[in-house]
Order: sequence, then structure tokens, then C-alpha cells
Amino acid sequence: MSVPLAEKTGQHQLPIEFADEKESIKITGFWMFLVTDVLIFASLFSTYAVMRTSVAMGPTPDQLFHMGPVMLETILLLTSSFTIGLGVYFMRKGQVRALMGWMIVTILLGAGFVGTEIHDFVTFAQQGATWHTSAFLSAFDILVGTHGAHVTFGIFWAITLLFQLRKRGITPQTARKVYTYSLYWHFLDIVWIFIYTFVYLNGKIV
Amino acid sequence: MSEATKPITAEEAYNNENDKVLRFLKPRFHEEAFPTIQILGYIGSLILTFGAYFLVMNHVLPPVALLSVILVLAVFQAALQLGVFMHIREGRGLAWQLIPLYFVFFVALGMVGMSIWIMLFKSGVS
Repeated sequence: MSVPLAEKTGQHQLPIEFADEKESIKITGFWMFLVTDVLIFASLFSTYAVMRTSVAMGPTPDQLFHMGPVMLETILLLTSSFTIGLGVYFMRKGQVRALMGWMIVTILLGAGFVGTEIHDFVTFAQQGATWHTSAFLSAFDILVGTHGAHVTFGIFWAITLLFQLRKRGITPQTARKVYTYSLYWHFLDIVWIFIYTFVYLNGKIV
Repeated sequence: MSEATKPITAEEAYNNENDKVLRFLKPRFHEEAFPTIQILGYIGSLILTFGAYFLVMNHVLPPVALLSVILVLAVFQAALQLGVFMHIREGRGLAWQLIPLYFVFFVALGMVGMSIWIMLFKSGVS
């Protein structure tokens, strides 16, 4: 016996980003991208795990890191993860203005994160701690820098989405784009939590 | 339209006696009237972050135990982000993202874990 499904006839609504089959499969595809991105960060974390005691003549992690800016960056990124989560919540409710508002808040928080991180890196460089100094600093800069580059890319991605949302509103296509962007942003938050724990806090355990 | 061809939701379809074994294929999404889960998730992530911070700054444990504890806290937080914000278990049918994710966590744990493990043999390496 074949019974028509209410989902197929549109009488029972799926969330809009999953409603269209072709858009829905792209969300699964984006998960595959995130999986490969996990591998990039895993190899950088491995490098850091091996190199972090090789400080040569340069500063040790404990001497170099100041927890003030790091906590600021952590709070900014955690909060931005929360705000884009709210954005997706309002997107599923079909409220385009609330979605765009929370996305703008997310972009500002992300910009604050990148700004703090750049300021931190410049401060390190002024102290003579660049990636030429030691194996530890090479591994540190490439790991934290790759994450920062991801966040920077995410900010520009979100800005392009804002233009699309303003022009087209919430359609299955723009909704899928916002949803994959939110997956990307939360993923960066997870990576940051491990940088925060394994690089910064671990550096303070003497 | 006869009774037999009236549209039913997937929820009802997979509750049919014949299809109960296929329930893992049914669409799965959460709807909330208020973003309670998101707010609780945010508070939880802040607690985990500051918990790890105070544990480390007050040196409450010996170094290796301390690192283990804060890494466990980080894993909890990753699970929280995946579960609350990334809707990891949601999908139109089976959540296909779970299978490659389990695999890549296995590979990543192997890579990082083995690297940490091999560096414990300091005398042998240098």
C-alpha cells in the first residue's frame, strides 16, 4: 500500500532549509567539508603537541600568554555562536529582520574577535616573538592563524549572505546558505575551545 | 479522497506495525516556542569555559590531572555545541553526517593522541 506523505504534499512543514531536496543534500555535503576541516586542525594540533616544548631561545608559553585578551576572545566567540544560533531559530520562524539583526551582531562579535587576535599577534611580534623565533611559535602561529583566517573568511561570507537576504528574503536557497554558515561558525567555536584549552590554558599549567 | 490515500505524516507512517524497524529513517526536527535550549546551551558553555579557567589559574590539581580534566571539559563543550547549535541529530531521514563525523573524530583523536603519547618519551627522542 502506498500512502502519500504529508511532508511531500506540503501539509506538514519541514524546516525551510531542509524543505527542498536539492538544498537539503547540500547541507549534508557541507558536513563532509567540516569533516575534512577537522583533519586540517587535527594535524595542526598534532604539530603543536610535538613542538610546544621546543622554545629555543624564545619565550615559553607561560611567559608569552596573557589570559586577559584570550578570555575576551573566548567570550566574544562563544557569544557570537549563541547569536547565530538565535538567528537560525528566527529563520525557522520566518522572521527575516530578526535573522539579519542577529547576523549583524554575529559579524560585529566576530570582528571584535579578529581585532583582539591581531592586536595580540602584533604585541607578540613587538616582543620579538614571531614565527621565526622557535618551533613552538611557528606551530602556535600556524594553528591560531589558520583559525583566525577561517573566522575572517566567515565574516565576509556573512556579509554576502546579508545582501542576499535583503534582496530575496528567506527562501529555501538563502535559508540553506544561512544554515551552512551557522554550521561553519559553530564549528569554528569548537576549534577555538580546543585552542583555548590545549594551547592557552595548557600553557599556564606549569 | 478515500481514507487509504489521505496524507499522513512520516511520524504516523513509521508507527505502522510493518515499518517500526525503519523508524531510524524518519525525519527528525525540533520545534520550540522559545529558544530555551539555545539560552541554556550558552550558559552551559560559559560555565564550562570559566570552570576550566579557574581550575587552571588556581592550580587545584597536579599538572597531568589538570590537563586531563580541562580536556574533558572541552569535549563536553564540543558536544554541547554540536547538539544544541549544530542540530547534529536532525535530518530528513537518517542523519548521514553522524557516520563521517564519528570516523573523523576517531582519526583526529588518533593523530593528536598518538602525537602527545610519543612526546612522553623525551629521553628516547633526543
